[in-house]
Amino acid sequence: MSDALRFHWRLPQGGERAGASRALLASRPESALPDVEYQASFCRTAEDVGIESLLTDFGWSKPDSILLSAAIGLQCTRAKFIIAYRSGLICPTTFVQQLNTLSALIDGRFSLNVVAGHSPDEQRSYGDFLPHDERYARTEEFLAICNAFWHGDGPVNYEGRFYRLENGKVATPFVSSDGAKGPELYIAGNSDPAMQMAITQGSCWMMMADTPAKIFAKCGPVLEARKTVGLRMSVFARPTREEAIAAARAFAAERPAGFDSKSAESRFVTGGDTVGMRKTFELAESEWLTPWLWTGLVRTHGAPTLAIIGSYDDVAEALLEYKAAGVRQFIFSGWPKLDEMVRFGSEVIPRVREAEAAAA
Amino acid sequence: MSSAGQQDRAAKSRAAVTGVPDLDALTAFCRHAEECGIESLLTAFGFHRPDPLTLAAALAMRTSRIKFMVAVRSGVCSPTLFVQQVNTVAALSGGRICINVVAGHTPEEQRGYGDFLDHDERYERTDEFLTICRSFWRREPLINFEGSHYRLENGRINLPFLGERSAPEIFLGGNSAEAEQLAIKHADCWWRLPDKPEVLAAKSRALAASGTEMGLLMSICVRPTREEAVRDAYAMVADLGEPPRTAHREFRKHSDSVAFVSTYDLADRFDWLTPYMWTGAVASLGAPAVALVGSPEDVAEGILDLKHAGVSQFLFVGWPDLEQMTTFQRDVLPLVRELECRDETGERKGGTA
Repeated sequence: MSDALRFHWRLPQGGERAGASRALLASRPESALPDVEYQASFCRTAEDVGIESLLTDFGWSKPDSILLSAAIGLQCTRAKFIIAYRSGLICPTTFVQQLNTLSALIDGRFSLNVVAGHSPDEQRSYGDFLPHDERYARTEEFLAICNAFWHGDGPVNYEGRFYRLENGKVATPFVSSDGAKGPELYIAGNSDPAMQMAITQGSCWMMMADTPAKIFAKCGPVLEARKTVGLRMSVFARPTREEAIAAARAFAAERPAGFDSKSAESRFVTGGDTVGMRKTFELAESEWLTPWLWTGLVRTHGAPTLAIIGSYDDVAEALLEYKAAGVRQFIFSGWPKLDEMVRFGSEVIPRVREAEAAAA
Repeated sequence: MSSAGQQDRAAKSRAAVTGVPDLDALTAFCRHAEECGIESLLTAFGFHRPDPLTLAAALAMRTSRIKFMVAVRSGVCSPTLFVQQVNTVAALSGGRICINVVAGHTPEEQRGYGDFLDHDERYERTDEFLTICRSFWRREPLINFEGSHYRLENGRINLPFLGERSAPEIFLGGNSAEAEQLAIKHADCWWRLPDKPEVLAAKSRALAASGTEMGLLMSICVRPTREEAVRDAYAMVADLGEPPRTAHREFRKHSDSVAFVSTYDLADRFDWLTPYMWTGAVASLGAPAVALVGSPEDVAEGILDLKHAGVSQFLFVGWPDLEQMTTFQRDVLPLVRELECRDETGERKGGTA
């Protein structure tokens, strides 16, 4: 298997304006509307610039990520989707049936990003009343069942604390011309239970970013288990470091009138029980964690906006530092969304590939 | 619809059919239905089929007028998530989705979905499920619910149901008294399997006060003459031979669906429920195979008889599907409209009702 770095991008939701924070977007009805034409063209651009997959978010304020991927997936040919989903909302048999149906429609072009849920408040809206650690225990069972459908042979029988199945069958198999029997499985979350689950059920541990040294210190057990490590973060790449910093600061200064995104994001974090998001929020005490790792957006725009900032060369070098620390995949956000992805794809990725080729 | 391109599907045991959807065949089927003026297509639910919501999302992108009647069972997903998925398809399709709520027909299959409730409890849960879904569709701001099967706190979804309606039309399937009651409480239309018109008429009188419509899931075999239609219907069953009968005997043993089991019983007792309504294929093709068989005139008469008994919607399976859709639109529907006109001007006496 090639050890080349793999680059994914977050798919903008319908109605998203560059600059608005997540907390603001969640409060707007437009962000719930799929914008298939725009989103499909975003995916086709991603294909052209070497981005492998697009992350489709899950949440009460958005369209359903599986169905949105079906609609958009039919409008592009190579781009894959990283479908974010939670356990506890749907029975595993139905979940597998939906995903296998999707795989048959778009030739298996998706992976799963399973999160245990980040806000008890939002989970209860879906009828889920379990506390943090129990949610992980349930997600573990949920994925064990899904994996049995995908990789086992014959009907699925299961008796756990949260799920019980007798002769579970799904006639629609996972379909993919590359021969995969099930989707790649990212486990998101920075807590120990998340890491354990990446080892037992997943193929990749998708973490909120930190410095390469800190990531390296954490990801040993995952690498030993021959699973990969991925980072969810942001990037500002420009011809020079000065321009990149100026762009990041200008973006941070954008404030929609009448909206206090700082306090909204802090409410989002304090109302949540996720370890990763809280830790990242704390990291933002200092503005620069390394000469290229910037926390300036975290407190207003959320944990995934911990950003690599610099010239194209700086960013490529940062990525290679992460690679040396054991990281293999990235899911990026950037602003302006389309421009940043195109710049990253046409300027940064070739530099990374060149360095990777030289090292090989 | 999910069986487009697999004409003999219903004759096979459920474990023997493929669940891989053929998107091009399905798209062609949908477009044909659009051309024939069919209002909606059923995408059924079962372990042996592709997922209906995912299919509807995909096909919405390839069609422009047809509605998708998506079958759903309670107990397989959170009502919040279900509404979010339905509303997503509505947003993708311009509101071209309605839902067909079914309670499930075999405990064995239900257990494969982790559902161990019995028939009556399933209906109780479906009641709670629909109560919650309808609160979302009424756009109540924060939904709180505490029942014996579901509990929700401050339930909310950002995406409304977009379309001409503010909620999907709800069809509720099943022949049991529980199904009927639930349809009256929650549904726009009670989907049931056929019976003699006098039996249906009695049921429709009970429904009338609630404003709930009655619809029938059945098959259709129209040929230029009655003789040809009857001959083709018998020939089809003969061609299927013994294996499907065995498969359906097996299915019947394991089903706790009142609708399915009572239809097998009905078919044992009567070959013809009316001069145009034939049960001869039920043993081979299952409960939805009670069929209107005959010339276009016969079938139009048969439909009007059922209309007089209170039936206002039909969900047809055609023998064979694509062809019958064309025939229905070209030969039968104009006659039905003509008879309806005469009804209104009082030229035709009421039917069996």
